[in-house]
Amino acid sequence: MKLGVFVSDFRSGSDVLDRLTAEKLGIIFVGNGVYHATVKEEGKSCPVLDKQAHFYVLTEDLESRGFTAAQVDSRVKAVTYSDVVDLIFNDYEKAIWI
Amino acid sequence: MATRKLGFVIRSLPYKTEASRLALTHAISSQTVEIYLEDGDLVEPVVCYIGDGVLNCLKGQQAAKHYGVTSIEQHARNSLLLDLNVMICKEDLDKRGIPDNALVLDAEDIGGETAAKVVPYSEIQKVMESVDHLLFC
Repeated sequence: MKLGVFVSDFRSGSDVLDRLTAEKLGIIFVGNGVYHATVKEEGKSCPVLDKQAHFYVLTEDLESRGFTAAQVDSRVKAVTYSDVVDLIFNDYEKAIWI
Repeated sequence: MATRKLGFVIRSLPYKTEASRLALTHAISSQTVEIYLEDGDLVEPVVCYIGDGVLNCLKGQQAAKHYGVTSIEQHARNSLLLDLNVMICKEDLDKRGIPDNALVLDAEDIGGETAAKVVPYSEIQKVMESVDHLLFC
């Protein structure tokens, strides 16, 4: 399956995320999930980003929290609300929220 | 004549919940309780940011543009404008690689004269021990 996963928390949900597999997996960081794409703890990127997946971060939530697209990990693509709608309709058959 | 010290320790991330915003709102508004106190009695709030809570202090938050709400950054500036004692945990900033120049440390642009302090956790621990009431949020 082609699965889109919305991640809206920073400290919870990674246990579920670790086990998720899909033919095509997209992880979309929204809300407080954007910290996965921006914060480096002890100089290390978030371990979630090591997963085999396509990563996206919602620009509006990013900017609301004081970050810019330039501060996002290179594995993550900054997208707008419109882009997310396109992703859901065109790239992923199913979408879940964790 | 007595001073009641109130400690507000913010450890929550901004926006998903109202926790950090409410902590600041309560810290700011706590001074107004003085109208109910005896002459000379005072309330002294202290705001401390620890853990993920330090991410509330980032500059450049565009919440008004995207969410249509006042940003936590603006709340933080207001707390400094009103001369609240504000402390940010140095270890938690360092752990997340956040430099001081990325933080709201003053409110000079709106006339504030008080600056937030980046301090080691041990200083925040002392505050927690010294206050009369402690609120974690």
